Amino acid sequence: MGDERETKQQKSARKEAAQLEGKQTRKRGWRLMKETVGQHPHLMLLGIAAGLVWAAARVTVPLLAGAAIDHGITRGRTGVTLALAAAIVAVGAVQGVGTGLRRYAAFGLANRVETDIRMRLVAHLQRLHFGFHDQAQTGQLMAFANTDIQQVNNVVLLVPLTIASTIQMVAVVVILVLRSPGLALFALGLLPLLNFSATRFNHRMYPVGMQLQKELSDVSGVVEESITGVRVVKGFGVERLQRKRLSDEADSVYDRSMDQARLRSNFTPLIDLLPALGLVGILWYGGHQVLSHHLEVGDIVAANLFVVMLIWPLRMIGMLVGQLPRSAAAAGRIDSILATDPAIADAPNARALPDGPGSVRFERVTFGYGRGPAVLDGFDLEIAGGEAVALVGATASGKSTVARLIPRFYDVHAGHVRIDGADVREVRLREVRRAVGLVFEDTFLFSDSVRNNIAFADPEAPNEAVVRAAKLAGADEFIRELPEGYESIIGEHGYSLSGGQRQRIAIARAVLADPRVLILDDATSSVDPSKEHEIRAALAEVMQGRTTIIIAHRPATIALADRVVLLDGGKIVADGTHERLLATSPRYREVLARAALEPEAHSGLEDAELLDLPGVGD
Amino acid sequence: MGWWGDNVPEETLSRDEATRVVRRLLRMLRPQRALIIVATIILVGQAAALLAGPALVDHGIDAGLLHKNAAGKIVGDAGALNLSVLVYLALAFVGFVLGRIAIVLVARIGEGFLRDLRNRLFGHMMSLSLDYFETEKTGKIVARMTSDIDAMEELVSQGLVLFVQNTFVFVGAVTVILIVSWQLAVGILVIVPPVYLGSRWFRTVSNRAYLEVRDRISSNLTTLQESLEGVRVVQAFGREDSFINKFHRTNEDQYEANMETVRISSKYFPIIEYAGVVGTAVIIGYGGWLTTKGIVTVGTVAAFVLWLNSLFEPINQLSQLYNTVQSSAAALSKIFGVLDTRPTVRQRQAAIDLPRSGAVDVDHVTFAYGANEPVLHDVSLRITDGERIALVGPTGAGKSTLAKLIARFYDPVVGTVRVGGVDLRDAEFISLRQRVIVVPQEGFLFAGTLRDNVRVGRPEATDAEVENALRVLGLLDRFTAFPEGLDTEVRERGSRLSAGERQLVSLARAALADPSVLILDEATSNLDPGTEHAVEAALEHLMHGRTVVVVAHRLSTAARADRIGVVYDGRLAELGSHAELVDLDGHYAELYRAWATHQAAPEVA
Repeated sequence: MGDERETKQQKSARKEAAQLEGKQTRKRGWRLMKETVGQHPHLMLLGIAAGLVWAAARVTVPLLAGAAIDHGITRGRTGVTLALAAAIVAVGAVQGVGTGLRRYAAFGLANRVETDIRMRLVAHLQRLHFGFHDQAQTGQLMAFANTDIQQVNNVVLLVPLTIASTIQMVAVVVILVLRSPGLALFALGLLPLLNFSATRFNHRMYPVGMQLQKELSDVSGVVEESITGVRVVKGFGVERLQRKRLSDEADSVYDRSMDQARLRSNFTPLIDLLPALGLVGILWYGGHQVLSHHLEVGDIVAANLFVVMLIWPLRMIGMLVGQLPRSAAAAGRIDSILATDPAIADAPNARALPDGPGSVRFERVTFGYGRGPAVLDGFDLEIAGGEAVALVGATASGKSTVARLIPRFYDVHAGHVRIDGADVREVRLREVRRAVGLVFEDTFLFSDSVRNNIAFADPEAPNEAVVRAAKLAGADEFIRELPEGYESIIGEHGYSLSGGQRQRIAIARAVLADPRVLILDDATSSVDPSKEHEIRAALAEVMQGRTTIIIAHRPATIALADRVVLLDGGKIVADGTHERLLATSPRYREVLARAALEPEAHSGLEDAELLDLPGVGD
Repeated sequence: MGWWGDNVPEETLSRDEATRVVRRLLRMLRPQRALIIVATIILVGQAAALLAGPALVDHGIDAGLLHKNAAGKIVGDAGALNLSVLVYLALAFVGFVLGRIAIVLVARIGEGFLRDLRNRLFGHMMSLSLDYFETEKTGKIVARMTSDIDAMEELVSQGLVLFVQNTFVFVGAVTVILIVSWQLAVGILVIVPPVYLGSRWFRTVSNRAYLEVRDRISSNLTTLQESLEGVRVVQAFGREDSFINKFHRTNEDQYEANMETVRISSKYFPIIEYAGVVGTAVIIGYGGWLTTKGIVTVGTVAAFVLWLNSLFEPINQLSQLYNTVQSSAAALSKIFGVLDTRPTVRQRQAAIDLPRSGAVDVDHVTFAYGANEPVLHDVSLRITDGERIALVGPTGAGKSTLAKLIARFYDPVVGTVRVGGVDLRDAEFISLRQRVIVVPQEGFLFAGTLRDNVRVGRPEATDAEVENALRVLGLLDRFTAFPEGLDTEVRERGSRLSAGERQLVSLARAALADPSVLILDEATSNLDPGTEHAVEAALEHLMHGRTVVVVAHRLSTAARADRIGVVYDGRLAELGSHAELVDLDGHYAELYRAWATHQAAPEVA
């Protein structure tokens, strides 16, 4: 029993902590919004000033109308009536200009703030370290930059609009109270209920809306899996089973939608009812005041107009109240990213990278990803300038980690990584990155022309340099066969290339950057073996006089290196030439044999696959 | 904020298309006719109650406040005033109650329609043949069921009531003011055309502007996505600044496009507000003048001021709803497009059950996808019951197609495929799917538990049968060892299955289905070493006693089959046992020799 109580306590403690965290997030959100809005005071001021003019004009119209009835119409003085009507037209023009300006200012401010925050966020994300991006999900970051910022927009927009509406409301109350406190009470007494129920409605609608969103995403879940798994669905003839699942989900959507409709039916009709009750109140109380000659007919008409006028402002305040915490939370989420400092940045006294042949040295390096176990522990490796080294090892042996530490994508936990004698942490990051060219296994190309992709490191590079880099990477031939050659747009909205072609462009991109140290991390794994020998010949030229680190499995690729370093469990277990290791290291033979079984060359012909994949266990 | 519609139609329908869509929609709504009529009556009643208010103000003022005695002196009539107040009060509540009912009722009609549409569309999709899913992009098919129906969801949940309500209120308001005083009505109605034109202008211009906004948003998001996905490359080459600049441009483009909509609405809303004020002025000025002529009363002037709101607000609201209606119509039209697609593989009327025998007879079959070049030319292949056949050949040669024809994923263009002597075109679907099972390359899992996933093989199977299927393949212990045994949710974090384990589930499914003919599409990629062996063993159990057609990617697999068919260039080039084909010295022998030499490569190199 004691245990149970403890869990309960823990639970409430956790809940409290979550609430506190939510509160702090919102607080940070507020600060971010205030700060950004504060950078555009003129728009805020314009919004409020225009709102004041608008409110003043708007309040004047019913007064003029009332006066026209009392002093003009009921007394048959057509001149007065027409003069006041003309005055209404004139005041209306002022109101119109006011409303235009206040909307422009409010929406403009909201857009500006949205754009600014997004810019800050994205610029910040671009500079955040690899470790951050390893853990972040692209989809979630996209949501920050899109839906969360939209939430901020929604609230920033409402602020100046609501200020003007509130001023207008106060003015109406004052005017009516001055004229007749009783009339004011009957006309406006129930209207705060509108505001109150709008707030409550938004509050209650939110969770139901979220539930509905969830049900809708469940529907798309069933649809998506039925379509992507259509071969299974058709293969087993279980269309009916999927249909049943969908119909269950569709029922849930229906139920949640009806919940929403019922909630709405509690609120929406109030928007008509409460003002109508105000009008009834005015007619009854005001009417009897007119009969007893305390008020005039015009007062009733003016009061009617005032009531109708206040419907929207009250609803808007309700919306703002509902929106505020949501927007603050969204802004808080954004702020928490902005508050994350890039872990990899220039040291305060960062120096230039000394000249040198591109020698690389690992000294007692210890490193692990995040809080995970150490991948490298007291790792030593020395690569002379201009040397070509192949790193070989099974999956998770640490070879890719070695490759990623050289350009300082991550900082070591202990020890040093040096390029030409300088610890990479002490050198300007920019220079380290320029000195090291890394070609990843999963190549990322931008939706841009082939030319611009290759010239990524140096957009100003002359065409000859681009073509030369492509030739060295064995890419020139297929690029020329593309409909627009080097100007062909590739990527999501352009030509799709095979994995091997993409890798060759990525190699060309690295070659063009002309780095001191070139690292090829499984960079030819998707290249069709029949094409690989062409690249191999070209690579030999690229490697001439350049420090090169090759991570590869194919013996022919490994053979390009002067020296092979075999890694196992974050340690060097063998070091020497390919031939020597083959002869002396059983582990080396084992790793190569296993690698030969791994999937390769998806882009190649199936014939090639048949040749490459013996498919016999061990 | 967008209370004038964030929802922009993707493409607007032509008038003809729109008419067709609406007609078909009405036909689909026919079963709900009774509810629709009730809802309409209620909405009309609600509009009437709303519009009656100002009339009561009119009566209250004229008959109550300004009641004149016989001498023409204003004396007032408290009774008439009180009567007006009471009736007004009652009507306000009637309107309130009707409004509540209407919202729920319209939701029931609309949401019910959407529920049926979801079921119908999905059911239809599931009935379509495999060629549909191979030609259309997955994203596009999914969008029909999600974003397109969601587009209508917005209309149904919010727009529909407003749309009908506002239409009734507007029509009602025009009618009422014409009846009460056509002279004053004409005075105000003069303002309606400019307001209408303004709204129409706004609709067109803002529509265009919003399309632009959407384009800019999507290109901005594309830039963003690319910068996030490529962040490692960007940083590796030290190109952060150039990417930040690029994003700055697209971000500002989005801002500019947004500002265009702001500018448009900053012009439109003043016009609407001003029109309302001018309307008030016209009623006061012109109405005041009419009172001196004795044509209208003071009460009528007051009532008109109130009716004005019922006249302009609907125009405003309707023009905001226009986009929602448009995009719903466009979405519906796309959905109809799917519903009109006919499945190419259909069950015949007098279909018969397949017998238990697993003998397969591919008889002079020619096949082409759609109107394309034939993929298979005159292929004949007889497989005896219980025989294992491997199909090998280069990609695109047609071996997978041949396997799919045996499962009747398609019908041959020429020739016949028989299983157990029955032409597959005559086979009853359910029995076909029981007798012939395809195990695809990748073990595909549905959301749900392990048990649910195995049960896909035979949905009516009991728990014991599911467990038995796993036991037969020697997998029961492996899966009961999961944290929650067979009730482990496969998609939940922490219990992600490896590729090999997914494949095992897929095999267990097939075992549960207990087919006579098993078609295996061998995985091209290797599995984790831990499961590789289990898969091999399970496969062996599964294949036992069944006719097996393997689309083989590895010669080692092929070599184990009873006979091997080499599919080359759409023809069955070679057929025979491994030994026979090696002796034949054709394509197969060549492949085999190359493979055998390469296998030893690492040792020799």
